Amino acid sequence: MNSQDETHAAPRGIALKVRLTLWYGIALGVILAIFAGTLYMVLARGLKDQVDRSLEEAATVAVKALEERRVGPFVRFDDLVDEFPELAVLDKFFQIFSPVGTITIQSPNIRRRDIPLSRTALGAALAGRAVFETARFPQEPPIRLLSVPIQYEGTLTHILQIGTSLREVEKMLHHLLFTLLVIGPLALAVALGGGWFLAGRALQPVEAITEAARRIAAGDLTQRLSASQSSDEIGRLADTFNEMIARLEGSFRQIQRFSADASHELRTPLTVMKGETELALRRPRSAEDYRLVLESSLEEIDRMARIIDDLLFLSRTDLGEVRMERRPVRLDALVEDIQRQAAVLGQEQGIEVLITTVQPATVLGDELRLRELVLNLVENAVRYSRPGGRVEMALEGEDSVARLTVTDHGIGIPAEAQSRIFDRFYRTDDARAHAPKGTGLGLAICKWIAEVHHGRIEVHSELGKGSRFTLILPLAAPAG
Amino acid sequence: MRILLVEDEAKVASFIRRALEEESYAVDVCADGTQGLALAREAKEGCYDLIILDLMLPGLPGLEILKVLRKEQITAPVLILTARSQVDQKVKGLDAGADDYLTKPFAIEELLARVRVLLRRGSGEAAGVLQVEDLILNPATRDVTRGGRRIELTSKEYALLEYLMRNVGRVLTRPMIAEHVWNLDFDTFTNVIDVYVNYLRNKIDRGWDRKLIHTVRGTGYVLKAQ
Repeated sequence: MNSQDETHAAPRGIALKVRLTLWYGIALGVILAIFAGTLYMVLARGLKDQVDRSLEEAATVAVKALEERRVGPFVRFDDLVDEFPELAVLDKFFQIFSPVGTITIQSPNIRRRDIPLSRTALGAALAGRAVFETARFPQEPPIRLLSVPIQYEGTLTHILQIGTSLREVEKMLHHLLFTLLVIGPLALAVALGGGWFLAGRALQPVEAITEAARRIAAGDLTQRLSASQSSDEIGRLADTFNEMIARLEGSFRQIQRFSADASHELRTPLTVMKGETELALRRPRSAEDYRLVLESSLEEIDRMARIIDDLLFLSRTDLGEVRMERRPVRLDALVEDIQRQAAVLGQEQGIEVLITTVQPATVLGDELRLRELVLNLVENAVRYSRPGGRVEMALEGEDSVARLTVTDHGIGIPAEAQSRIFDRFYRTDDARAHAPKGTGLGLAICKWIAEVHHGRIEVHSELGKGSRFTLILPLAAPAG
Repeated sequence: MRILLVEDEAKVASFIRRALEEESYAVDVCADGTQGLALAREAKEGCYDLIILDLMLPGLPGLEILKVLRKEQITAPVLILTARSQVDQKVKGLDAGADDYLTKPFAIEELLARVRVLLRRGSGEAAGVLQVEDLILNPATRDVTRGGRRIELTSKEYALLEYLMRNVGRVLTRPMIAEHVWNLDFDTFTNVIDVYVNYLRNKIDRGWDRKLIHTVRGTGYVLKAQ
């Protein structure tokens, strides 16, 4: 699983960089293209309008002059120019056609002699309308033409055509197009490069985190990401990562300690069974010797079975597979019942188990589990008492909680161990020496039962003087 | 050969002690770390020929005991016995001065073999066989021969001979013999030692010109080639 992740991780990082840059580039490209296209169209339109307007202006002046002066059909252009200097504008040329469309006068600056009057223009002139046209010739810039009818008393006398080359306009548009086509991609390329660099920079901390996470995944949970001090997204990601690793490290340690403890606890009975059996088999023994070995083995088997049962129960609680009932349980009845049971147990060792106070108290929960919990606490108290000792049980209902205390005057628990006695398999040396048959799991189970009942267990203990365990559970209904 | 066993699991300590005693070793058992250290320390130099040490002990952890012993130049071989099998635990133990390491559960025969190896190392013998002239003792099989002829010994006779042979040429006082071969106080026991030395002489030296066991008047006994 790991190797697959590793092989996938690197290309994915690069792909993100490429994707970011690509999206950025596409967006920028589209914007640039729209901008360039619009610019080109607006400019082309504007330039053409300008040309048309100048043609119109020239035509208006010429037509007015020609109409007022009633120029005859046969005039020389030079005479005409003398009278109307406006007509001699260099960048425009004139043609005057007869109403049938034959050329009567041509300005000398016309480049092509053969620009005939188009049918459309003639038709429009006959109808009394002016018309714009663009004449195109191969290998030459197009020419913009304006044909205007000249009328005298309602009849068409001439058709004036003013033309101008679109060379300059075309040239400008070409320049513009060229500029746009060169600068656009160039700008895009520069922007893409910048985008690539920025994406790289933005993703670099992610790469660093990936690298560090891979090192950590390789097994060394003591490593941490060197978090940038900043509180930006990446900094927060690194912090979150570090917190997660710290939690992982914690639970890893716990698991390691737990499995070391578990293997120790299971190996001890195995060692005894293996050693005693091998020793017995080394040479012939008496039937009594064999019986002793078998009895001892049976004891060890029972011990292992208890450990395994407790372990299985705890692992089922870890998986959330243990079902708990929630019914009213009379704690006072339970305490009295367990006291009778424990008193019998204590008699064998000369230990007195008694109840000091008991007040009625009802809690919601699973009676069997609660019985297991209380019995465990009382059994512990008996187990760690000295011969002739006394174990006291008390139950008090107080505000909204029931307080059940089990007090012994036995060996006690060292202060530094008190926080750990609920850990699985944790046992103090004294406890080991005093009660070698314990599994080290009882209190872990008690703690779990208390917690699923929304309660807790408190410990007060003094080494050599005894311990008091207090079970605090929320009451189902007010005491009384 | 006297062995100190520091082990807190009563049943484990019990079967190891019985196994060692069946092999004619004298065994002292201690279930507490602090007491174990005190025993190993207070005993006269060379009292214990081997210490078998559990690591998880009430009072004082085995590793601490080991460190103190080595610091105080107590050089008896130490065999660590523990349920922890991780490599770093073994390395720690060996680095602290242990001579060998055995993890639980273990085979009794392996424990006994390792005990023999550690005791052999102390006496400088090579192939696992003790030899003085034509007298040969094999600790692994417990066979004793002289001039190729097998000699049948009782358990105590064997232990006494092994102790004498591991200390060839060295005069062994009666208290030393009592401590290494028997589990009892020497005061009540001097006669027994003399009686057993006589048994041993009858079996080993009788009929041979070259006597191996010699009495050092007023002190004790010595086994040596003449």
